Amino acid sequence: MLLLRGGRVVCPATGTDAVLDLRIDQGRVAELGIGLALDGAELIDCTGLAVLPGLVDLVADLADPGSTWREDLASGSRAAAMGGFTTVLASPATDPVVDSGAIAAGLVEAAAGAPGARVLRAGALTVGLLGQELAEMGSMLAAGCAALSDGGITGTDAAVLRNALAYARPFGAPVLLRPGQRALESRGCMHEGEISMQIGLRGIPAAAEEIGLATAIALVRATGARVHLSHVTTARSVAMLASARAEGLPITASVPARHLLLTDTWVRDSGYDPAGRLLPPLRPEQDRQALVQALRDGVIDAVCSDHMPWTRVEKELEFEQAAPGALGLETALAATLTALEGDLVRLAQVLAVAPGAVLGQRAELAPGAVADVVVLDPRAEGVVAAPRASKGCNEPLVGRTLRGAVVATVVAGRLAWRA
Amino acid sequence: MRRKDMLGLRDATAEEITEILDTAARFRSVSERRIKKVPTLRGRTVVTLFFEDSTRTRMSFDLAAKRLSADTLGFSASSSSVKKGETLMDTARNIDAMRPDAIIIRHSCAGAPHMLARAFPWTVLNAGDGINEHPSQGLLDMLTMRDHLGDLAGRTVAIVGDVYHSRVARSNIFGLTKLGARVVLAGPGTMCRREMESLGVEVRHQIEDVLPDADVVMMLRIQRERLAPGMMSTSREYARFYGLDLDKLQRARPEVLVMHPGPINRGVELSPEVADGERSVIMEQVTNGVAVRMALLFLLLGGETQPGGGDDAAA
Repeated sequence: MLLLRGGRVVCPATGTDAVLDLRIDQGRVAELGIGLALDGAELIDCTGLAVLPGLVDLVADLADPGSTWREDLASGSRAAAMGGFTTVLASPATDPVVDSGAIAAGLVEAAAGAPGARVLRAGALTVGLLGQELAEMGSMLAAGCAALSDGGITGTDAAVLRNALAYARPFGAPVLLRPGQRALESRGCMHEGEISMQIGLRGIPAAAEEIGLATAIALVRATGARVHLSHVTTARSVAMLASARAEGLPITASVPARHLLLTDTWVRDSGYDPAGRLLPPLRPEQDRQALVQALRDGVIDAVCSDHMPWTRVEKELEFEQAAPGALGLETALAATLTALEGDLVRLAQVLAVAPGAVLGQRAELAPGAVADVVVLDPRAEGVVAAPRASKGCNEPLVGRTLRGAVVATVVAGRLAWRA
Repeated sequence: MRRKDMLGLRDATAEEITEILDTAARFRSVSERRIKKVPTLRGRTVVTLFFEDSTRTRMSFDLAAKRLSADTLGFSASSSSVKKGETLMDTARNIDAMRPDAIIIRHSCAGAPHMLARAFPWTVLNAGDGINEHPSQGLLDMLTMRDHLGDLAGRTVAIVGDVYHSRVARSNIFGLTKLGARVVLAGPGTMCRREMESLGVEVRHQIEDVLPDADVVMMLRIQRERLAPGMMSTSREYARFYGLDLDKLQRARPEVLVMHPGPINRGVELSPEVADGERSVIMEQVTNGVAVRMALLFLLLGGETQPGGGDDAAA
């Protein structure tokens, strides 16, 4: 039993926003109220702190199996818990790729032993994520996969993608796609614009993302599949997304947390630090502002960590040659809270309720609900230090002052992490 | 000049550029003497670390260091452990362990010199990084222009060709605009992009549009090795629209300077008659290269004696 005493309980699903005690028993929320008795429960004093539904992440590379020197189930799960996440959807872009029922069954079973956050598995849309043959979507879902995904790998032939979406739809699972266009992405290493021109790096035009997004929207219209577009990062993407949703298409979208704070000038100002080599790349300030606004307006539903751990082996290289991607699980909450200027209700919406809904979970703090809870200090300001749980070294937010610190993370009633 | 490294002209000031050019002008006399050596950098170790093929830049830096009496050491990617898979940082750590004073690096990736400059205490000179910058080339170009035109403020420099992939162009653009010159670009739409206007230059595309009011026409080398497929049509078409021949040169002022960073693709960007013609200052650029590189090494490594006069060994 746990008693979270005296915190500001913020739960958009139930409309709760009040200072309350919260009792957890047998993995579920037992009761909410004022002056609840301890009754032998472990006490967590939440005075001055906020109590939110546990965060849910849709886009994380846990590198396990296949490249466990970068991350593994344990380190990734712990990093997630430290960051306030209670559920993480692991990318199928592992080695082997999660593309068959048998592979999925083994990994889903192994994930049950994750020490921190709950780890869910996404199955690949195509065999080997190669964009050619359809993977065993039904079998993977039957084995316990929570979603289907392109693993962030663009380049699937539009005809194959259309078939994949049509095939996936009757199974009812969400399909995650990263909008992009491989040919336009393949020769660049940062956003193409004034800054790339200034510092002599080949650019990736915003058109790469927007072409991918247009393709995805058109194919959702054609197939009716429920699609979550991860990595929406340009102002024009936001406009396209708004119009697709106005049309009533079953599309949701997320933005990586760091894109809410950092811009392409980071690459210049850091002196070509490979930690800033990302896909999609960091965008100019006007895009960043549009992303923050879209998150407030609800055009972008969710924030993802886009956690992609790399070690010095893959990152201590020339900028153009370093592997793209950055860490995110440990910093996404503070980055988002900083971007939202401390708006806890919106934070709970974009990092818990909305991503949870994509996976069919109801992230709420109500009696009977699974006790996935994060306790945070919304006023704490701290400089981001080197990652603590992740094995990766690539965090471009290091050195930034962010707002919000995770105090405790409870996963199904288990105290998965405490500061 | 108070800086550890010379990584590019993007973050250099007009004062620093002028100081380097003034110093280079004074160093020129050393190369004209019978004994072409001053003791300025005696006992200092300068390493050239070239990950891309180069003849003239490497020779020029090597000569510059030798004429200042520095000990020089060459490292070529083709003859080194890089072929065995060693990373740039590991190569640099090994060189660091031998205690160099300066490293001159050429690399196919932008930012490679910056990475070393951040990590190590020695001076880093960028001798060309990817498509980013080639500051010593920009400086020698500006010195050559200054020899003929004096103050560059208000002068018009046309840069023609594959500007996008040209680190020479980028360094010239940064340097020239800082000195108050007007820079106009011409070249195919794929190589001379609209976004470049954010660098403070004018983008015109057609060579005919930039020739009439140019004090200098800088023709760039077509670098086929850097071109992605589909960036240009045939060499014949390139020569026709963007190459400089005697016919097109007639649209320019009679006193216009024709420059090229070399090596020239004769018959593509420059016709032989223009390359070897009376408006060409291409060989002066090469001569000035040694002087500019001597000035850079002198200013960055803080040589103790003044260039030009007073050195016993030079007498």
